[in-house]
Amino acid sequence: MKRKVTDWIIDGSGENEMNRHSGKRGTGHPAGRRAAALLLAGIFLCAAALTGCSGSGSGENAGTDAGEKAITVAINSETGTMDPAGSIALTYLAYSVSALDELLTFDENGEIEYRAAESYEVNEDSTEWTFHLREDALWSDGTPVTSGDFLNTITRALDPASGSGYANYLFPIENAEAIYNGEAEMDTLGVEAPNDYTLVFHLEEPCVYFLDLLRLPVYTPSCEKYADSPDSGWDTDPETSLANGPFCLTEYVPDQYFVLEKNENYWDKDRISLDRITYRFFDDTQSMANAYQAGEVDVATSLPSTVMELYEGQDDLLVTDLIATRYIYFNLNVEPLDDVRVREAINLAIDREELCQIVGSDTEPTYNLIAKYMKDKETGEYFVDGAEQPFEENVVRAQEILTEAGYPDGEGFPTLTYSYPTLEMDSDTAQVIQSQLKENLNIDIELNAQELQSSYSSRYAGDFELIRMNWTADFADPYTYLSMLLSNSTYNCSGINDPEYDVLVEQSSSESDPAKRAELMHQAEQLAVGEQFYIIPLYAMKSVNLVNPEITGIRQIPASGALEYRYADIG
Amino acid sequence: MLRYTLKRILTGILALFVLACVTFLLVRLMPGSPFQTGSVSEQVVEAVEREYGLDRPLGEQFLTYMGNLLRGDLGISYEDPGVKVTEIIGRTWGITASLGVPALIVAILAGTAFGIARAVSKNRCVREVISAVGMILAGIPGFAAAILLLLVFSVQLKWFPASGLLSPAHYVLPVISLAIYPAAVIMRLTGNALETEMEKDYVLFDRAKGLGRKQIIFTHALKNAWRPVLNYIGPASAYLLTGSFVVESIFTIPGIGREFVNSITNRDYTLIMGLTIFMGAVVIAVNLITDLLGAWLDPAVRRSYQEEAG
Repeated sequence: MKRKVTDWIIDGSGENEMNRHSGKRGTGHPAGRRAAALLLAGIFLCAAALTGCSGSGSGENAGTDAGEKAITVAINSETGTMDPAGSIALTYLAYSVSALDELLTFDENGEIEYRAAESYEVNEDSTEWTFHLREDALWSDGTPVTSGDFLNTITRALDPASGSGYANYLFPIENAEAIYNGEAEMDTLGVEAPNDYTLVFHLEEPCVYFLDLLRLPVYTPSCEKYADSPDSGWDTDPETSLANGPFCLTEYVPDQYFVLEKNENYWDKDRISLDRITYRFFDDTQSMANAYQAGEVDVATSLPSTVMELYEGQDDLLVTDLIATRYIYFNLNVEPLDDVRVREAINLAIDREELCQIVGSDTEPTYNLIAKYMKDKETGEYFVDGAEQPFEENVVRAQEILTEAGYPDGEGFPTLTYSYPTLEMDSDTAQVIQSQLKENLNIDIELNAQELQSSYSSRYAGDFELIRMNWTADFADPYTYLSMLLSNSTYNCSGINDPEYDVLVEQSSSESDPAKRAELMHQAEQLAVGEQFYIIPLYAMKSVNLVNPEITGIRQIPASGALEYRYADIG
Repeated sequence: MLRYTLKRILTGILALFVLACVTFLLVRLMPGSPFQTGSVSEQVVEAVEREYGLDRPLGEQFLTYMGNLLRGDLGISYEDPGVKVTEIIGRTWGITASLGVPALIVAILAGTAFGIARAVSKNRCVREVISAVGMILAGIPGFAAAILLLLVFSVQLKWFPASGLLSPAHYVLPVISLAIYPAAVIMRLTGNALETEMEKDYVLFDRAKGLGRKQIIFTHALKNAWRPVLNYIGPASAYLLTGSFVVESIFTIPGIGREFVNSITNRDYTLIMGLTIFMGAVVIAVNLITDLLGAWLDPAVRRSYQEEAG
């Protein structure tokens, strides 16, 4: 219901926007207008008298008042802790990009940008990685950042009580999985800290994309002195919540906002221009858009696609590529979805161009599992462009294949149920697919809209026939996508069990020659998407953001597509 | 009177207990888990659930919860590890009350004023307009009023801020959004009651005594006409609490309503339970107080209690 409400707002404000300069605002029926105006005025007077105030609110805007450069960023409602070893969600993601330095990261050209580390070495078979930490790196209280701080996050995250959802990304490390499952002692963990400025990782198996994992929270440091447990509250107390990045926490008000100020002890502080970033929590994207329009925030991200039309041609609008794929899982344990011909026919019969036109201008058709906008660090091109499109849509061919599978013109084909979360975008998608499959293959799809949490639940339990899936890259390597379909993957809930695919993907993670590795990954994707049709890829997405045009230097994090304000400036 | 009060308090506690049991079951019937999000692997979800005891039989979890509840321990939030549910209630209820109380006052003042105007105005046109507007306002859903006010006065005119509660100006729109419906109801109640009162014999008698119209209304008739309004304050408080769910979400206000909506989306079991029990207690308490107040104000009822006691 909430979704419906917000839809209404945006339509309303769109209409008003057009009238903004025409002097009078049309409010609808002229007859009711005077009475409505009278009434509103009356109520308004009462309230103004009561609260003893009037005039405009005190929005915090981008400004250089008193020589201070400050911006306010709208972020989605407070969820999760700011402890990298804890149960993190949006709050941490917003906090960490400004406040925490990982060992190293990749810039938009795929070049290494050293942060907490200043160099690294790796042995020949990619199983032993040694990082040399920057000796001039300090926490925001002036104490040095040491290898023990990195180890602190890792060991705490390997205790299931921490609630870390990223613990499984530590499993490439020797014994990490066994420790997590309580089958081995912590002192057998394959991470060493021979001195304060050296950190060595011993891996179970070769892992050529290990550097890409380093941006994940579990590989980010947390100060040994204070960061003891996700429950102790150290993470939201400015006294103990130390940062090793350009900004540090100075205020945290639950449910409302938190404030980061420039970290004067940051080793690279000369590159930082902003003095303060305030993050304000919002429950839904429409409230964010309203707050932006009312001038209360300088940046609002991931807004509804209708904002694109509203701000078309204006400097405020910033549309960025999301490294994400929306797709549908077939349940291979359900007849007739175990038949590859049926899966192929459905895939070929969907018109993704039409789908995206209807769903919104923030979507683009995709025929791949790997995110359309994920870049190949070697070539600088989009990874999926390095191979042929896995398959081509073709309604006639789809009908032929369905006939071969024993369902000429959809005859005898059982009604399938498509489960999806009740988000507007997914509801629209479901209806388009339903009508396309009816029209093109004469098969019936029953729609089953579920609340988001229920949808996750059905998926984990394998309790579905067709289900909507969305995957946003955790790290900038196609493995984040390919690993989902491995037979032993915990995300594999659709019953895929393909030894040939498993071998290709495993080979790719130990292949150190980038060209050969890319080839293996393309082969794996072709097998899964273009030959076995294990999924129905639908579209890639764009993120619609509003940014105060006075702000410069906002960058996009290549791995996830999220915005980063480290090097932002005003004017 | 004392016996009546005690009886009411005991019934209230029983109602709270039933509420707690039903909520516990309903919450667990919802599909999903507090630790499932789009990007957490199943292995991790299972390990964490084990850690929190969510893998144990439901009956056992229920007994543990109820045992803790009796000791006044509402547990910790699953979504915000380390934060006690009581802490969250303590932080948010004041904010919701800081909207609800002014809203109730605005509703009473505006409702009574327009109710009187409707009942006693000599101008038929004024009476009809007030009635019609009151009817329309009572029919507008709270969320629609909130969105309309937000769009007009905040997004377009920029008179008031659109989100948060940082300054007094931030209170205006949410308070009005909350007050509209109860104000319309109070207007109708006062208006109707006053019209009835005005036709009663004692008013005629007052008039015959030569009392002025104002004096009759404010010293005699209104006192009697106001009793239904007093009875309505209980339901109005419940309306304000549930109304805060929508209004707080629309205006991004960190009160109990927004916390409640989020806790359900997050499947934060302990927080849902804690907030439900707390809000249940508030509604029961407000109803109890207004009932007692009404009984005490009504001479007939009061006398019957006194006789009972004596």
